[in-house]
Amino acid sequence: MDERNFTYMFYGFLAAWVILVSYVVALVGRERRIKKELENLKRMIEDRGGAS
Amino acid sequence: MRQKVMITLCGLAAALLARNLYVILLRLPDEAAQGAIYRIIFFHLPSWFTSFTAYVLAGVASILYLVKKDTRYDAFAVSVTEIGTVFTGMGLVTGMIWARVIWGIWWTWDPRLTWAFICWLVYAGYLMLRRATEDPTARARNSAVLSIFAFTTVIITYKAIDWWRTQHPGAVLSFRTGGGKIDPAMEAMIYWNWLALMLLAAVLVMVRMKQEHVQGEIEALRRHAHAL
Amino acid sequence: MTFLRQSLTMAAKDLRAELRTKEAINASVAFALVILLLFSFAFDPTAEQTREMSGGLLWIVFAFAGALILNRSFARELPNDCLDALVASPVSGAALFFGKCLANAILLLAVEFISLPVFGVFYNVWWTQRFWPLMHVLVLATWRLTVIGTMFRALTVNLRLREMMLPVLVYPMVIPALMAAMQLTTVLMAGEAIGADNLIWLRLLAGFDIIFTALGLVLVETVLVG
Repeated sequence: MDERNFTYMFYGFLAAWVILVSYVVALVGRERRIKKELENLKRMIEDRGGAS
Repeated sequence: MRQKVMITLCGLAAALLARNLYVILLRLPDEAAQGAIYRIIFFHLPSWFTSFTAYVLAGVASILYLVKKDTRYDAFAVSVTEIGTVFTGMGLVTGMIWARVIWGIWWTWDPRLTWAFICWLVYAGYLMLRRATEDPTARARNSAVLSIFAFTTVIITYKAIDWWRTQHPGAVLSFRTGGGKIDPAMEAMIYWNWLALMLLAAVLVMVRMKQEHVQGEIEALRRHAHAL
Repeated sequence: MTFLRQSLTMAAKDLRAELRTKEAINASVAFALVILLLFSFAFDPTAEQTREMSGGLLWIVFAFAGALILNRSFARELPNDCLDALVASPVSGAALFFGKCLANAILLLAVEFISLPVFGVFYNVWWTQRFWPLMHVLVLATWRLTVIGTMFRALTVNLRLREMMLPVLVYPMVIPALMAAMQLTTVLMAGEAIGADNLIWLRLLAGFDIIFTALGLVLVETVLVG
């Protein structure tokens, strides 16, 4: 393979993947957060429903 | 079932990407003048194709939402737009790195690049509008309208290299030029990598749609909790 | 014909309201003049530099002045639920939208007509050389700014962060109109006619004006009423 500009090509591939992986990480984080919120809400409603 | 589909698509995407990387780095011929950097086209073009597909689907979903008022179309629209914006970002960055090497500059305001940037800004604005609107019905309705307006930028970005003399390279793929401007093996690889990225995008859209559904549940439960 | 009559009534109402208080137009004109004067002594451009940047400077000024006018157009309807009353009236959403666009366009054109002589004086530019082509460009680009601005104002009017969201949404969509207007204005200010190269910019302005106006008229009812 022609090795000219190889470093830049590597950085290009890396940049694309970093963006994609950052988004996947953000998605996973969001998933965790909303699952927790859902649990909290369900528990709160059960408590309130049970109390009243 | 849904989990199985997602894992299968993920596996397929990973396998295809691995095979593509192998071919890109070790099998494909060299380009005459550019050195290794030309291989970035195998991520640059597929990223943009994926994001344009995403925006087309978002536009269609938005119109369907406005006609049918089914919130599942809205959930699909936002998921697909978000993933489209990520791939647009990838397309812009890979393009900028290529430009730095080949043209010596990171950016220029030629029509193709300007419209590409506008496209990204407009859909980022769509995501901001969604975050700023609290009422779910208004949010779905307003973002559907915005999506339709935003789609005009996609069409122009696509056609920019035909309508203007741009610094950005002109059309090379056979379906636009009738053939002869690019090595067939390279062209095939562009489509293969597009498929790989589309499979990845499909998985991400499925994940995001599920999150949108859960978000809807949360909002319903919140209203219920307030009522208690 | 009802549509036209309703739009003109709406436009007249908005213009009358604005001309009585002169809030938006005062703010816009003041802003435009201040920026023009500031640039004039900040950069003290030579004749050559002025010729090159005339289009860019003028249209940045007009874009920001336009934002000030747009902020008022729907904001005026918020107290006392005026907007709800308008939406509930027999006037169609499209007529309401078109009327507001007309009013905003007229106000913005007024600001531009006040700014141009000031620009001519302070920058020594003979701006009336190509008067009618310049008027064409002014009207087309102003209409685009107004249509997009009014449409997106309707989208954001009920948000808490409406002041911030409008520029974020509007400026990307009007960049092409601004680019076309800047390019054409620079050419016209230098005294040249719009040549074959620049004709595409004019076509772009006109073509997309039609598309965005049509889209706006069709979709505004959905946004305002739901």
